[in-house]
Amino acid sequence: MTAEQFLSYFGPQRFIKELRARSKDGVLSELTRVLANDGDIRDPSLLLEMIRRRESLGSTGLGNGVAVPHGRSTAATRTKVVFACSKRGIEFDAPDGAPCRIFFLIVAPYEDHRHEYLPLLGKIVETVSEESSRQKLLGVETFEEFAEAMREAFRE
Amino acid sequence: MSDRVQRLVQLQDLELMIDELQDPDHKRKEEALGFSVENFAQLEKARERLLKQIPKQDLRSYRRIRRRHVRAVVPVHNGICLGCFQTLPTRIQRGSSASGPLPACENCGRILYWF
Ligand SMILES: [Zn+2]
Repeated sequence: MTAEQFLSYFGPQRFIKELRARSKDGVLSELTRVLANDGDIRDPSLLLEMIRRRESLGSTGLGNGVAVPHGRSTAATRTKVVFACSKRGIEFDAPDGAPCRIFFLIVAPYEDHRHEYLPLLGKIVETVSEESSRQKLLGVETFEEFAEAMREAFRE
Repeated sequence: MSDRVQRLVQLQDLELMIDELQDPDHKRKEEALGFSVENFAQLEKARERLLKQIPKQDLRSYRRIRRRHVRAVVPVHNGICLGCFQTLPTRIQRGSSASGPLPACENCGRILYWF
């Protein structure tokens, strides 16, 4: 996967500089709504249900202030990612108990002929594993700055 | 979209999630990335609840198709069935009534799901 292929899953319409939500479920709703408003998603309520169910198996909070809710849905026709920040942080049942500030929502269809879902998930986890990348992501103001921070993280 | 198709989509997403996360290879990969995958009993309970809301004949159709294909319900995108990738005839009915047959692809037989 090249940096540009990686960035093709993101988009300015799926970039949230500061989440309005203050609870875990509120975050899931807000992320899902943004994804659905961007098209290629049939029914946001089905999507939210799927994301909540995945979350019920164990938090997708990874620690270090990062959470990556994810899943596949019949309601999705393309793999897409929403990026969001919350500077105040949101309690997300992460393993380290710390509130989450950086969020990626990944939704993929079941017809994943290119087998892109798990590699994408892995790549996202890898890019935020460095403290310096997380700091940069928390400071971005625009989608362009976000894309540049991701390119840098990708190169490292 | 009719409630009948919507319920089947819910069931399918849930069953495919259970299948995928119970696949040892997939589960191992998610866990290696730092995600926890447990509490499967909750998903089974949700599945039981959902099954009660689906008419018997719809469930029979769904099961029959699921024996042949991974997905019994597929989206329609730009007039194409995303199960077999054939263009659907324009006369095909969108959605379905409260009773009667579910909308299905003439080519592959999968249940169709529109926006
Ligand atoms: Zn078909």
